[in-house]
Amino acid sequence: MNGTALTSERQERRIDAIVSYGLLILCTIFAIFPFVFMLSTSLKSEAEALSLPVRWIPKQFTLQAYTEMWTLKPFGSYFWNSIVVSGVTALLSTIVGALAGYGFSRFQFRGRTSLLAFFLATQMISGVLVIGPYFQILAALELYNTLTGLIIAYVTICLPFAAWMSKGYFDSIPKELDEAGLVDGASRLQIFLRIICPIAVPGTVSTLLFAFLLAWQDLLWALCLVSIDEKRTVTLGVAFLVGEFVIKWPMLTAASLIGSLPTILLYLFLQRFYVEGLARGAVKG
Amino acid sequence: MRSGHTWHDRHLGYAFVLPATLLLLAVLIFPAFITLKASFTPDGAAGWRFTPAQYLKAFRDPVLMHAFKNTFSFVAWSMVGHFVLGLGLALALNQALPGQTFFRLIALVPWTIPDVVAGILFRWVLNPIHGAINPLIRTFIPSFPAEFQWLSNPTLAFPSVIVANVWRGYPLVMVMLLAGLMAIPRELYEAAAVDGAGKIRRFFHVTLPGLSTIILIALALDMVWEFRRFALVVAMTGGGPGTLTEVLSTLVYKTYFQFFSFEYASAMAILMSAVLFVLSLPYIILVGREQR
Repeated sequence: MNGTALTSERQERRIDAIVSYGLLILCTIFAIFPFVFMLSTSLKSEAEALSLPVRWIPKQFTLQAYTEMWTLKPFGSYFWNSIVVSGVTALLSTIVGALAGYGFSRFQFRGRTSLLAFFLATQMISGVLVIGPYFQILAALELYNTLTGLIIAYVTICLPFAAWMSKGYFDSIPKELDEAGLVDGASRLQIFLRIICPIAVPGTVSTLLFAFLLAWQDLLWALCLVSIDEKRTVTLGVAFLVGEFVIKWPMLTAASLIGSLPTILLYLFLQRFYVEGLARGAVKG
Repeated sequence: MRSGHTWHDRHLGYAFVLPATLLLLAVLIFPAFITLKASFTPDGAAGWRFTPAQYLKAFRDPVLMHAFKNTFSFVAWSMVGHFVLGLGLALALNQALPGQTFFRLIALVPWTIPDVVAGILFRWVLNPIHGAINPLIRTFIPSFPAEFQWLSNPTLAFPSVIVANVWRGYPLVMVMLLAGLMAIPRELYEAAAVDGAGKIRRFFHVTLPGLSTIILIALALDMVWEFRRFALVVAMTGGGPGTLTEVLSTLVYKTYFQFFSFEYASAMAILMSAVLFVLSLPYIILVGREQR
């Protein structure tokens, strides 16, 4: 009796494994197949990308697309713009957001719950709600077509995210540490800066990187607030390549891959932390 | 906390929270009020004069209604796809099979690229002449048309965009559900097995109840995200052909920046945001409950 139960359980496990592998392999193909095709295209010459029949593996490997993107199009300046805009936005949002996160985590004050809900709700807003006024206001302030204008716009996405993300992280640091500091006669600000912040470094760095990626990935704002080539970001530069009359597919795919490199690497490294943040209310769109 | 600190702390709490709050009021809430005000203004008016005209126009606008319908089916089908694929993969990955780290990383990749790149990728794969999909199908079904036009086909253009979005979005639901699965104590399964519960019963009586909160959070979030999805559609079809794949975010963008109808676009943006707000309430309530 016991023996048959064991074999049937073993059989069940084997079926589980076969079904799981089947599903995993199918999904891996689905997940990776467009990528492989993109990578293969980016390594072809333009003539080969447009020659028939479609080849999976380039007949002649060439890095031409990867060199042309910097000379035929100013992808160097697109990258620089993206780095500056995303970097400044991330720094600003993380610092201001960490202050708010600490305030929400450690203090009870009137309106705390409503304010928290407000920060949560602002993460749900679509940028589409304010792109019109932004265009007008930035034009009036002579900030249209500037990186400063983009930074202001990206704060609307990154700040609520950073506040919730760091609140969640501060919540995981025991309050006893603050109390011990108070007993020692330290002020609240000293406790925050000298005791809590050093412990919160890993969480803060992750928040910073996520905020960076949020800004990096955006297309909507850049499309609405930038109309000159010199101020385009990477995503905008890539999007404009699609709009051209004759699309240079090898260069477009190469630029797309290089432009995605920061997000691919950072998301794969930080995914666990990100999922924890999601369950606690830090949300990326 | 000791009572001696309460008065002081209450004010300090505000001090910590104030900079972020003021900044958000300035960069987000103030512009949102301008949109609201503009939505009640007649076309091209110099001063402000209250009129519901833009909204009356909106409710009779077949293009806007079409975009609403498209957005809802985009959201619904994307959520179904994300959930089915995400749950299936999470269950498969939770078996701790050899090679599972490899499979997990590969399965995550679509989530890590910017939306605009996902749109470009599928536009290229579906390219009727030089893309990968037609030759691939023809190796299995030789009678399939050689230059099949996916993205200008009236019945298949929109489903193609949805498939691209399912591809882009399932990994996040997958990792959330996987985290939920790993948190279910093994003893629960063992106890159920001892009680003679079969595989299917264990799934419905242990797995699903254990996952219920994270499923709700994942679906609630997914709904909000897909409702405002923009770059993928712009890069893949631009809303076309015609208005076939137009969703709300692309329509509002075009009404502002291609048709330059500021007041009408504002009314559309307000309507869209009102619906989005209602859709995001489940998530806000779910997370708010955890915070107490």
